[in-house]
Amino acid sequence: MILTFLFRRIVYLVLVVLLITLATFVTFFAGSAGSLAARFAGKQAGPAAIKNAEIRLGLIHGFWYQYWHYLVDLAHGSFGLDFQNQEPVMREISRAFPVTASLVVGAAILWLIIGISIGIMSATHPRTVRDRAGTLFALTFLSMPLFVLGVLLLLVLFYYLTEAGLHWFPAAGYVPLTQSPVQWAVHLILPWFTLALAQAAVYTRLIRSSLLDTLGEDYIRTARAKGLSRRTVIYKHGVRAALTPIITQLGIDVGTLLAGAIVTERVFGLTGLGELSLDALFNGDLPVVAAVVLLAAVFIVFMNTVVDVVYALLDPRVRIS
Amino acid sequence: MSASTADILLGIDTEFGIADDEPDIRGRTPMRLAWARLRRDKVSMAALGFVIFICLVGVFAPVLTWLIGHGPNTEYPNIGLTIFGHPVPPSRTFLLGTDDLGRDVLSRLIYGARVSLEVGVGATVLATVLGVAAGLISGYYGGMLDAFIARFMDILLAFPILLFALALVARFGPSLTLILLVIAFFEWPLIGRLVRGQVIALREREFVEAARAAGSSNLRIMFVDITPNLIALAVVYATLLIPVNIVLEATLSYLGLGIQPPTASWGNMIAEAQNGDLYTIAWWMLVFPCVALFLTTLAFNLLGDGLRDALDPRHGRSNLLGGKTR
Repeated sequence: MILTFLFRRIVYLVLVVLLITLATFVTFFAGSAGSLAARFAGKQAGPAAIKNAEIRLGLIHGFWYQYWHYLVDLAHGSFGLDFQNQEPVMREISRAFPVTASLVVGAAILWLIIGISIGIMSATHPRTVRDRAGTLFALTFLSMPLFVLGVLLLLVLFYYLTEAGLHWFPAAGYVPLTQSPVQWAVHLILPWFTLALAQAAVYTRLIRSSLLDTLGEDYIRTARAKGLSRRTVIYKHGVRAALTPIITQLGIDVGTLLAGAIVTERVFGLTGLGELSLDALFNGDLPVVAAVVLLAAVFIVFMNTVVDVVYALLDPRVRIS
Repeated sequence: MSASTADILLGIDTEFGIADDEPDIRGRTPMRLAWARLRRDKVSMAALGFVIFICLVGVFAPVLTWLIGHGPNTEYPNIGLTIFGHPVPPSRTFLLGTDDLGRDVLSRLIYGARVSLEVGVGATVLATVLGVAAGLISGYYGGMLDAFIARFMDILLAFPILLFALALVARFGPSLTLILLVIAFFEWPLIGRLVRGQVIALREREFVEAARAAGSSNLRIMFVDITPNLIALAVVYATLLIPVNIVLEATLSYLGLGIQPPTASWGNMIAEAQNGDLYTIAWWMLVFPCVALFLTTLAFNLLGDGLRDALDPRHGRSNLLGGKTR
């Protein structure tokens, strides 16, 4: 059973990969290949140089040939060479991925802590001041665009603190974890909080409504009636059941963000996958864009599979199919 | 004869009716009921007030900037910049200060509102119309057509929207129309899916059967009988989509792939403020567009939530969806 499940997922993944690469290729080839080649032929390139670039970048071949070629490369585990520097795209991606992964995983831990605790507070004290405070928190950060939150944090926590003589947070940059764990964390605090606060708003709302539903169930009343404390009932019986919708959301969010938290990376000058793809988009560097878009799709499908498996582990009623 | 025939037929106690100065027997349509409910909600009314205000600002942008006396793209190198060439802080002449080119931040904010609303409302209207049409056709006819449309909507929703919007804009060059079309293209399935579900439930109802028995054509049933029942749903979700689209436009502009300078947009104003850390010497260049963007999205979100509570399309009070009940 698990095998058919995995098989179907893999077939689905291949389909998604085909569709997404095709869409990316079509998007880019809607213009002419010549203008694309002209960009990489250098300044004031003559017709010969442009022709040269076209040959070098493989743009001289027809659309389907190039697409096929790309798929064959992909099957060999290669994303090809980028247009800009003729460097393997794989190398650039493996350079950028740790940055994005650090950002997203750290932020995910934070937003789970913030979102779940505020959500529980709201749901266990419905229609009180605490609940309203929770709702206000959620509404504020739901309505605040990510980059607005980011630049405001920069203004207040970086600039004003630095001006006041407190060099607590750096404005930008990334230090690898292996180089200095402390500096790594210090450089990521503001980006983590930016991403986490925006996401926590969504989770607060989810947990609140899910927990409110759960606490209205009969088995909760039974648990209370047999004499368990309020605390035990809420945390052991209520929260545990209310967490299932969170897992779905978490899977989708982490999958999507791993392909580049474009906005957060731009605000804080982090050279992750998002920044890589943005640069590539500006330059018309097709192989890089295609690779990042593809990774995004793969991450999303992968995380969905993980979610399904975790579901089955958490809830015995759910069967993998 | 003291009581008229009509009064008797309607079962109205005339003596009581005469005694009461204002007999409250006006017919109340579902929409009017919803409006009455919305009007009692202070937060929603404040949000509605702000939304109307920002719309007026957008519509009358040329008049307002004329009143202020500074065009949005006019540079004032003499009075708009300090002797060091820095932006001027908020003052009597420039109420919200100037930017690094000596342009009036307030005038730019006003024109930014216009761009935000054009994209936000425009893309939403387009996505909603497309979504309702697709959902209606898909849900009403069912079968192969439905399977095809539903699958297509699922696939579109699986696309990383920001990345693809960026790719398309990077490829074809940024323009307001393109941004609007791209956003609408990726968003209509959101509305379409909801409408489809609603239509599938509605087409089995008695009033549709009655209409068919009376000889109505499919088109007539779809537009005259079913569509009115979709309005509440469409209005609520359209209101909630507007802030999403305003933020999308601002994000694209912030990333440099949206509205291009010198045309002002809240997104590119924030990007300009961050460019070269200008905000460290001119906080007003950063804070005011941020506040404008935040308040506008907040107002639309609050209004959308309020409308949902007032119209309640989800929670089974089906009499609010118009049509038959009692």
